[in-house]
This record gives sequence, structure tokens and C-alpha cells, in this order.
Amino acid sequence: MDEKRFEQLLLSVQKPGRYSGGEINSVIKDKNKVDVRFAFCFPDTYEIGMSHLGMKILYSLFNEREDIWCERCFAPWIDFEKVMRENGIELFGLESREPIKNFDFIGFTLQYELSFSNVVNMLDLAKVPIKAKERTALSPLVVAGGPCACNAEPLADIVDIFFLGEGEKVDLEVIDLYKSFKEKNGSKQDFLRAAAKIEGVYVPSLYDVSYNDDGTVKSVTPKANAPKAVRKRVEKNLDDTYYPEKFVVPYIEIVHDRAVQEIFRGCIRGCRFCQAGYIYRPVREKSIDTINRQAKALCENRGYDEISLSSLSTSDYRNIEPLLNELISWTEKDGISLSLPSLRIDNFSDELLEKISGVRKSGLTFAPEAGTQRLRDVINKNITEQEIISTCRTAFKGGYTAVKLYFMMGLPTETDEDIKGIADLAQKIVDEYYSLPEKPKGKAVNVSISVSNFVPKPFTPFEFWPQITREEMVRRQQYLKECIHSRKIIFNYHENRTSFLEGVFARGDRKLGEVIIKAHEKGCKFDGWDECFDLDKWLEAFKECGINPEFYANRMREYTEVFPWDHLDYAISKDFLIKQNELAKKAQTTEHCRKKCALCGANVFGEGVCFEKR
Amino acid sequence: MKNVRLFYKKGGRMRFISHLDITRFMARIIKRAKLPVWFTEGFNPHPYITFALPLSLGHISEYDIMDIRLCDDDYDIEKLPETLNAICPDGIRFFKAAEPKLKTAFVAFAQFEIEFDDKGELLKPLSDFLKSESIEVSKKTKKGDIKTFDVKPKIKDFSLNENGNTVLKITLPAGSEENINPELILTAFFGSGVTNYSCYTVTRKSILDKDLNLFE
Repeated sequence: MDEKRFEQLLLSVQKPGRYSGGEINSVIKDKNKVDVRFAFCFPDTYEIGMSHLGMKILYSLFNEREDIWCERCFAPWIDFEKVMRENGIELFGLESREPIKNFDFIGFTLQYELSFSNVVNMLDLAKVPIKAKERTALSPLVVAGGPCACNAEPLADIVDIFFLGEGEKVDLEVIDLYKSFKEKNGSKQDFLRAAAKIEGVYVPSLYDVSYNDDGTVKSVTPKANAPKAVRKRVEKNLDDTYYPEKFVVPYIEIVHDRAVQEIFRGCIRGCRFCQAGYIYRPVREKSIDTINRQAKALCENRGYDEISLSSLSTSDYRNIEPLLNELISWTEKDGISLSLPSLRIDNFSDELLEKISGVRKSGLTFAPEAGTQRLRDVINKNITEQEIISTCRTAFKGGYTAVKLYFMMGLPTETDEDIKGIADLAQKIVDEYYSLPEKPKGKAVNVSISVSNFVPKPFTPFEFWPQITREEMVRRQQYLKECIHSRKIIFNYHENRTSFLEGVFARGDRKLGEVIIKAHEKGCKFDGWDECFDLDKWLEAFKECGINPEFYANRMREYTEVFPWDHLDYAISKDFLIKQNELAKKAQTTEHCRKKCALCGANVFGEGVCFEKR
Repeated sequence: MKNVRLFYKKGGRMRFISHLDITRFMARIIKRAKLPVWFTEGFNPHPYITFALPLSLGHISEYDIMDIRLCDDDYDIEKLPETLNAICPDGIRFFKAAEPKLKTAFVAFAQFEIEFDDKGELLKPLSDFLKSESIEVSKKTKKGDIKTFDVKPKIKDFSLNENGNTVLKITLPAGSEENINPELILTAFFGSGVTNYSCYTVTRKSILDKDLNLFE
């Protein structure tokens, strides 16, 4: 399509800046001078995808190589999708505006289960056959990584290769292998078999799955010398790990429009509901010098006025205060504000508060996750009510008037008493505020509680548990609403229908691939967006495929059951998960990695917190 | 303290970036260039930047104006376009930096050139349309109501040419007092049933004062 017509069509949709490309630091190369073209696809909107750190890292890493040109590609919003389909525009890379079906790799990052239908829709928009076996040529290869690759089975018939764990090394190893096959005109089949030998590469077509009469998995059998279990990859030393000096700077407003500086990977805590807390183990920190140098480079190249320290639990960085001192020594002068997401309540000190508030006062967010101490012990969220209250007190004295609290509903063993505990805790925080003589003058307190629905995930101690039914979610939300009596408390809760679908896919198996394709044919896309999500269409798709979604979401699983993800090795032993689940049932907590090793199995990598001096 | 007026062109892929996004973009560019800019002194200090006349999303501009304020009175502003262009994408090109002659409140007109992708077919119908006694257009007011009015007396000047395609040059009121977007007239034209051909490119050629002199 000629450029002029294309641009004219762009002007007929909302936010054309989503599709126009040409941002500062975006990479343009001569396509005749590269060997491999890679479309890095984020199966959601530009604004969301552009906020994602992993994409920024891999985009820069790939493009540093002269022989690779990596372009970005996002899911077009429904208005532009319509224009594309009506005018025969195929899904294209933002940089070259050329169809990605002619690229060597089409790579998806799988950040949440509700983006699965977008993966299929994007392949369809690219005019690429959806099923892996229908793509017989060596390219384009459809690959995928990200947290949802840890149970990739629902997409097993669609994706050629999954990358397990961290991508910095394994992605390039696969690209290099591909180059050699491309040069010698090798077949896709031979390539996949060779790729399966690389650590961290999971080729689903090389595994046969058989089922029991009750629908559970009987066995997963590797073919063609593929490994029995595929182990994830981890970066051993983060100080030596590639980190970009420049990010693409978007013109239009995105979700997180700021420099992001990663400070460590993994989490020491072991909250039993949290998948990220297990699949990113072991904890590996960057040194203060590395962080300082990388953060400086980012600010230099971007002109941003905010830098965010990123990790799963920022205040668990061992030298957080020296780190902040180091950073503040130059950020303050340059008018750059520091933001520290993911702080934990228990080690949030006065000094730390002082340091952040010295720059700019923003809202304060905590995640107690459960309303009573018993349930917090079950989920191993090792914080007490006293700590929550005292942290809020510190914050109020420091001038904060708004506190946001995150909770989950439907956690294993939860009773109505635990639900009521959420309201009680919020009320206690409100009361605490008004009892303080030093509270900010003339301002009302604002306690907002956001309650999401618990979704059991693979590789967590709760992977055996059923998700509560949608009806029960509604009842508990209603009950909580009745328990709240203060106008200072704002209650937000999460849509139960999307949580249910997420629950189905999180622990789904290969049979769900058909359902995703069927749902796509019915028009399902952007399932994470309320205005697009249509559960009825999904339920029709399940029915037509003869599949009961409740089998996946609402069923208690036995310890002896073979799970669809058992052949994916995230270095978390099943025995450990069973032991943790038994402790949970008794409301017994486990200490974090730095206090005592809980023998999860992540020490096989020979690095990180498992080997820190205690 | 020194006020500086920066003149630039906007086109290419940048035409898809809205005015609001451009303001944020410019603040970033200024920060990256490490100019000694004056910061506002409110609760949320930010570099002082004002724009003479916002540009509609999708329009190209050959004459856009942004004012900044420098703390350093001796700063050599001649080099500013070069410095800024070095860190700007191709779609933004600075071509002049000077002390402002008039306050931005004195912007009165803007001159547009609209090229249609029509092989000259629209020349006659468009000419007839623009020559009619009155041209009714509808505009959404800030309150959300639809206001209909005659735009004909507000057209300061227009001319039509053909270079293979029809090219319309038109001068319309612009600025904070009264602002007429040429799209209003185009919408009325295409809506009048003459044709449904709608492929055109709008370029703002210049910004003028009340005496139709170039606004500098």
C-alpha cells in the first residue's frame, strides 16, 4: 500500500500515534544488510506494550547485533483492526511498516493469560497460518516467552518454540542456530529438533501428551531426543547482563512513561499465591555501581523526569538506603523524581520514607493481600496488622493522606471472617489517622481497598487448589461491601468473569488450543478489556469444543496428578510445593530466603541469594 | 531572563502526534539538550514552554512557534536550531530562533494549503462551493452542543490551483479569539454530496498577525 493512502487511513482512527512509529531511539536498518528480521509482538495495545521492560531490553539487545533487525508490533485497537481488514493491510512492524509475515521470527511476549486470544488474532491479521503444523516453511517461526510460557500448553499447537526463563542468552542462541539453517536451506523440522537441545528451549511439537479417562494428563512423552524436562534459563550475574542505555521514547502517553531501572530479579519472600515469587528465583541483585551507571545513562538519553526502581519487592534490596543516597545525589539536582514501586510494609523505615518524599509526594500503596492474620499466615505474607498500622502512621505523619491497599479474595481456606477482616483493617487505618495529633491539617483521609480475585497458578504451593466459583466471588464481594461502613473507605473490586477465564488458562492443557481458535473465530480479543470481553462467546466456544472450563478452574487437584506443565522445569521442586501447601493448611509460615533456605530447588543455578553470606 | 521564540516545521511521522503529546515531547527535548531553561515556580516545577498556535492532529506545519525562557541572558541563541535538530526526529525541524516580536495573543490568521489526491476532479465543484453566497458549517462547542454558522464571511482569502491535483490555499482566522479549522469547511464540502472523495493533506504554511503580516 502506498505510504500516502496508509497515512490517510491512519488519520481515520483514534490515537494514530500508536501505529505511526518513528519514535526517538527506534531503530531503522537497511533490510538488505541484515540476516534476520524479528517482529517483537506484544499482544496488547501500544500504551501497555511500550511500558514493558522486557521488550525494551530484548529490542535493544537484538538491535545491537548488526545482522538482526528487531521491530515492534502491537495489537491494533479494534478501530484500526477494522480499517486494516477492510483495506487489506497486513500486520506490520512499526519501524519498516512491512508485513511481519515475511520476517524470520514472530515473537510474542506472554505477560497474562487474557492476551492469548490476541496472539491468535495478531497471527490472523498478519495472514500467517495459526497452527504451527500449517506453517511448513522454516520461516516465519512463531516463538514466545514471558511468564505465561511456564504453562504454555494452551498455545502448544500454535507456537513453534517457547523460551523458558530469561531471554537474554537463549534468544540469541536460537537466532544464531536459525541463521545457520537459513543459509543451508535446512528444514523447519530439523531446525526445531536442533533447537530443542538448547537449554531453555521448549518445542511443544516434540512432546506427545496422553490423557486419562477423567481428562487429566496421563503422560507427556518427548520425541526425537528432546529433553524429558526443559529447564528455564537464568542470567547468573546481573552486573554482566545486558541492559539498554536507551529506550524507545514514545510520543503518545503510555501507561508507565518513565525510565525504568531494574535493581534485582526474583523475590526472597515466597508468598504462596505469587507465581512471580517462584518462577523468577533465585534472587540476584545488581550492584549499586551498576544500577547507578545504568540509571544515569538512561536519564541522559531520554530526557525523562522520573526514574522508577523496578523489582518484585524494592525494599528487599540489601543496600537500599546507600543506593538511594547515591541516586539522590544526582537526581535531585537534575529535577528527576525517584519512584519506588513494590515496597513491603515491614521494612519501610522512616528514613526511607523521608528519602522518597524529599523528591515528590505520591500516593502510598501497600499489599496486605488478606484481611486476617490467620489468612496472611496461610499465604505466607509475613506481615502483621501492627506493622501495617504503624507504617500507615509513619506515612500520615510524613504528610500522606491517601493509602491504597491491595487484597485478594478467594484465597485457599478463606472464610467470611477473613473477608470481614479486610473491612476491619481499612477501618482501623481510618481510625488511626483521626487519632493522630500530627495528622495533616484540614485534610480527610482516603483509604482505598482494591480486591482482586485469587487465581491459582502453576509453580506455586496453591497450584493444587480450586478457584472459587463466579457465584461465590459475587457473594463474597457483596458481603465485603456490607461490612464497610465508612465513607473514607473506597472499595474497588475486580470483574469475576475475566478472573474465571484467567483461572482456566493458567492451569490449562493442550486441549484448550482449539477453544482459543474457536473463540477467536467468534471475535474474542482484548479479553483483558471490559469493553471487549465477552464471556458468553467464550462459553459457546468451550461448549462447541466439548470442554468444561470448570474442570480447569474449579477442581481440586491431587498431589499425584500429572500436571500439563510438569515437564517444564523452573527449578522449583514439586515436593517443596506440596510441603509448602501442607504448611499453608496449618497456617504456618516459612521464613524468607535470606533468613533460612526452604530448599525449593533454585540453588541448582549456583548463583544468587542461595549463596549469599548470612 | 531571556525570552526566545523557536520556529519549527512538523511533518513526516510526527504529524500523527497530537498537540498535547507534542508539548510533552518538547519538554523532553529541551531537557535532553540541557538548555538553561527557566522552570515554573509552582508545586510541580516544569520548564516554561508556550505554543503560539496548536496544530490539529494529522496536519503538517511549515511554520510552528514555541516560546521558551532562558535563565542565561548571554546564551547564544543562534545555535539553538542546530542543537535541537541534532536530537529531534526528522519530523520536527527547527529553522530559526529569535526574540519574540509580538505576544502570542496577537496571532490572528493562519494560512493553509490543502492538496487533494483527486487528479484535479475537485477543482470545479470545490470552486463552486467556495464561491457560494454562504457556507453553513457545524462545530461542536466546548459545552458539547452543535453550533451551526456561516463560515463564508470568515474566509479571509482563498485560491485554487491545479498541479495534477487540486490545491486549495486558504487563509482563516486563528488564535485564541476565533479559530477556524479548515477541516470544518472540508467536512461541509464533502458532506454536501458533491463527492465522497476524502483523501487530502492539510499543511499550515504560515501564521499571520491581524494585518496579514508574518507573525514573528
